[in-house]
Amino acid sequence: MSLNEYVNNPDEAKEYWDRYRLFYLLLTLTAFIFVSRLWYLQIFSGSELRDFSDKNRLKEVKILAPRGLILDRDGQILVQNLLGFEAVVLPQYIENMEDLSSRIGTVLGVPTERVSQRITRSKRVNGPFSPVKIKEGLSRDEVVRLKKLRLDLPGLEIRETILRNYPLIENGAQLFGYVGEISKKQLPLLNKTYHGKLVLSQGDVIGKSGLEETLELNIRGQDGVSLVQVDAHGRETMTSTSPSIYSESLKNQEPTSGSHAVLTIDKDIQESAWKTTLQHQRIGGIIAMKTNGEVLAWTSSPSFDPNELSTSISAQTWSKLINDPFKPLRNKVIQDHASPGSTFKPLIAVAALQEKVITEHTIVAAPGVFYFGRRPYHDSIKGGHGNINVLTALEESSNVFFYKMGIALGVDKMYDYISSMGVGARTRIELDREVPGLMPNSKWKKDNIGEEWQPGENLSTAIGQGFVTSTLIQLAVAYNSIATEGQVVKPFVIRKIIDLDGKVLKEFNPTILRNLQEKQPNGVQISEKTFKLVKEGMRRVANGTKGTARFWKIPGVEYAGKTGTAQVMSFSADQIYSSCTSRPIQQRHHGWFIGYAPAENPEITVAVLAEHSCHGNTGAVPLFRDVVQAYYKKYHPEILESGSKMAKVKAQSPEKPISTEGE
Amino acid sequence: MDISLSSGEKSFFQKIDWSFVVLILCLHGLGLINLYSATHGPLDKNVADLFINQLVWLGIGWSVFFILTLFDYNFVSRLAYFVYSINLAALVYVTFYGKVALGAQRWIDLGSFHYQPSETMKLAMVVVLAKLLSRYNTHSRGLGFKELLFPLILLLAPFALVVEQPDLGTAMMITAIAVSMIIFCKVRKSIIVGSLLAVSIALPIAWKYGLHDYQRNRVLTFISPNNDPRGTGYNSIQSRIAVGSGQFFGKGYRNGTQSQLEFLPERHTDFIFSVLSEEWGFIGSLLTIGLFCALFYTMVRVASGARDKYGALLCVGVLCYIFWHMFVNIGMVIGLLPIVGVPLPLVSYGGSSMLTTMTGLGLISSVAYRRYIF
Repeated sequence: MSLNEYVNNPDEAKEYWDRYRLFYLLLTLTAFIFVSRLWYLQIFSGSELRDFSDKNRLKEVKILAPRGLILDRDGQILVQNLLGFEAVVLPQYIENMEDLSSRIGTVLGVPTERVSQRITRSKRVNGPFSPVKIKEGLSRDEVVRLKKLRLDLPGLEIRETILRNYPLIENGAQLFGYVGEISKKQLPLLNKTYHGKLVLSQGDVIGKSGLEETLELNIRGQDGVSLVQVDAHGRETMTSTSPSIYSESLKNQEPTSGSHAVLTIDKDIQESAWKTTLQHQRIGGIIAMKTNGEVLAWTSSPSFDPNELSTSISAQTWSKLINDPFKPLRNKVIQDHASPGSTFKPLIAVAALQEKVITEHTIVAAPGVFYFGRRPYHDSIKGGHGNINVLTALEESSNVFFYKMGIALGVDKMYDYISSMGVGARTRIELDREVPGLMPNSKWKKDNIGEEWQPGENLSTAIGQGFVTSTLIQLAVAYNSIATEGQVVKPFVIRKIIDLDGKVLKEFNPTILRNLQEKQPNGVQISEKTFKLVKEGMRRVANGTKGTARFWKIPGVEYAGKTGTAQVMSFSADQIYSSCTSRPIQQRHHGWFIGYAPAENPEITVAVLAEHSCHGNTGAVPLFRDVVQAYYKKYHPEILESGSKMAKVKAQSPEKPISTEGE
Repeated sequence: MDISLSSGEKSFFQKIDWSFVVLILCLHGLGLINLYSATHGPLDKNVADLFINQLVWLGIGWSVFFILTLFDYNFVSRLAYFVYSINLAALVYVTFYGKVALGAQRWIDLGSFHYQPSETMKLAMVVVLAKLLSRYNTHSRGLGFKELLFPLILLLAPFALVVEQPDLGTAMMITAIAVSMIIFCKVRKSIIVGSLLAVSIALPIAWKYGLHDYQRNRVLTFISPNNDPRGTGYNSIQSRIAVGSGQFFGKGYRNGTQSQLEFLPERHTDFIFSVLSEEWGFIGSLLTIGLFCALFYTMVRVASGARDKYGALLCVGVLCYIFWHMFVNIGMVIGLLPIVGVPLPLVSYGGSSMLTTMTGLGLISSVAYRRYIF
């Protein structure tokens, strides 16, 4: 449009001109009314209303609800609550900051500047009405001395709190987890996650890891609120001078305690597992479960004290924890994955027997070195094992035997069997942050590395080296499927949720994910005969004359299992035979032992990872034995008794345990 | 359509009404400062996001504003009935299938945004009435019954739907805007007298049979707030305490006890003005009202300089839209009017309100851009 069109009919809009005065009138009138009213409210009755707003502040005081207890399968306490006190400062009521900080600081043994810094910072970030926590977990003496100070120092408060208490201390700390104040970053995220189920606010204590985190919605209580009228100095007033427009109509809201969680864990076995870990000074993890998937014990070492972490932990302790090379915060049962090493052999044996690569009668030559495409592949024993069948191969842990199985099966067949048994995928146990591990196949390598699968890699895969990694819990599930002759279970730790009167709110039952004796979607179907054979081989590992675990017998109980070693670093051929214990600890191999007891009709499966212990036998088997023994002591003491009587009668000449470099 | 930046002799920067833009910016700034305080109290849970959301809405609002400035508003005139029909359809949908919030069906859920058709209906009403009324010659005796019939139908359709939701506040708002525009165009005296009579007869009947209990309660507590201090009167009392306790200079930024300690409900939306009054006192309140007056003055100036009747009526409509919102909101906060859920334009939190207000202002800016040149 050109400018001319604008000027074309200038008169049209003039029609309205006289009416704009109406607006000026309306505006002036409105402004006049509003300003008069504001003058009346803010100037004329301003001081009265200011007084009113000062005198009649309602303070919302949170009454904390205790979290539910965590109990073991027999109702013994694993996690509980204790009463505690904390010192809190309300910045809005402070009269003399320096005086307050120095006097509080002296009582609590905190430097004056630290106290005042903390208050000023919170005031700047959260505003003057947000309470500042100075110290938690006050001693009785500190409480008495602070109470005296309170009269002189407005703004100082001593509050009752509930402390989360972990009587097992370091034992199972990664499983049970710990609690802590919700962080500013987490707050919106969690409120999104719990949308519609739970509203968290700043300062709330939540489960930060382990079961405390998993069970949040179940064991979290609902905090109550009590409303108190306070004067401008923060002191409670309920005098007759304050107009009672709120006080009577407002009711307090009582807190409701959270529900209790009953676990499948058995505290006695849990304690034995930790005791033997400490005794042998082991780094690593233990998981013991009934063959239906109920977890009885779960430890991870080194560990930490959740009692310390659940109150205000010092920066020093925290940095020590996260910089520890052996990762105390990590739950090694589900978060460490490593090469399964020789523990893979029973799984390969299942595949080889079922695929008819061998039968129980097939004799295979197992020398000390095996050449495949001109490359030498070594056995753990220089001289080799001679001509052996599958049972001996398992008992003595021959590498060459299984190299040959690997070549005959090929990676994709191995993948079908082993992934059906549960290796290389999360078990979906109730805890967060479980790592999946890896069971490769040729497609995986093509997709992720972009190369074809090399025939040589079948050899390393067959003895659990190369790309394969597994978590301890996955191996436990896989061995359990052999022990039960086909049942792949979903392991679980939470048995039920009960309310305060013991009424069951939720109950969790054992789940069998699949039965391998039936035909699986990937074509895998394993016969009872195959399982029985492999089980016999594993029985010989602990009971045969050359079995790698034969030195740690339990009187009266025959168990079965398989040792394994995971190389942390790769070494050249000559170094393989050099002593592992002479290396720096972080370069030493991990030792595995996964097994079940009794060898016939097993009741429990126990998996032990002994990191940097060099051997599966000396490193892991003693721990396995102690845990199984603890189980029998509790559930079948008569078997142990009669067994030890028999042992005395026999009075065998004691054989001395020796450790072989590889298993 | 005129979207080129350099048409005529003057450039874009010379033609745009900058005093208008600056005034809107001032009110936005004021709103953001107060929104920050209102959403960052010690007891606030999850409202820090609100501040960011508002910034996003501001960005979108300003984009719409400048885009509309460049478009010829006559283009909007051509679309008037289309816009109105779409809006009416959305209103029908929401009345029967919408999200229920606070006892009323008002929203259509569009992912992260709740679209409230009754809010945009106010503006659609302005657009369609401006088109219709600008056709009439109003020099003589004013509009008669015959000319008013169609506008009345256009008003009654959305009015009935919004009452049905039920959202009486918004229904009254739409009516106030429409009636103001019609009166501006001059109406015959006989009709004014007749409608006044009709309303005074209909009101008692509507009171008895047409209102929900909570709506009746709101009006009753407004007349006597101390009857039910924890219920409907509570908001009114707390708001009055907040405003009054601000005194002359206010309690200081983020130091308002009424707002920071959560005595004030809905402090980031409908009661944002009481946060402002408490923390900035009489001075701050005067400044805000002053800014609004200046904004209205600018709008009247743009209307009177419009090159055609349609443009002038568009300005008048948007002016009424913003004026009635401000009037009801502040009136309610300072205890002159009953509590009605109406936001303070440009200052309160809320995407729907921000977007419709900025669209309206964009239309005015478009009229100013093409103003009659003397």
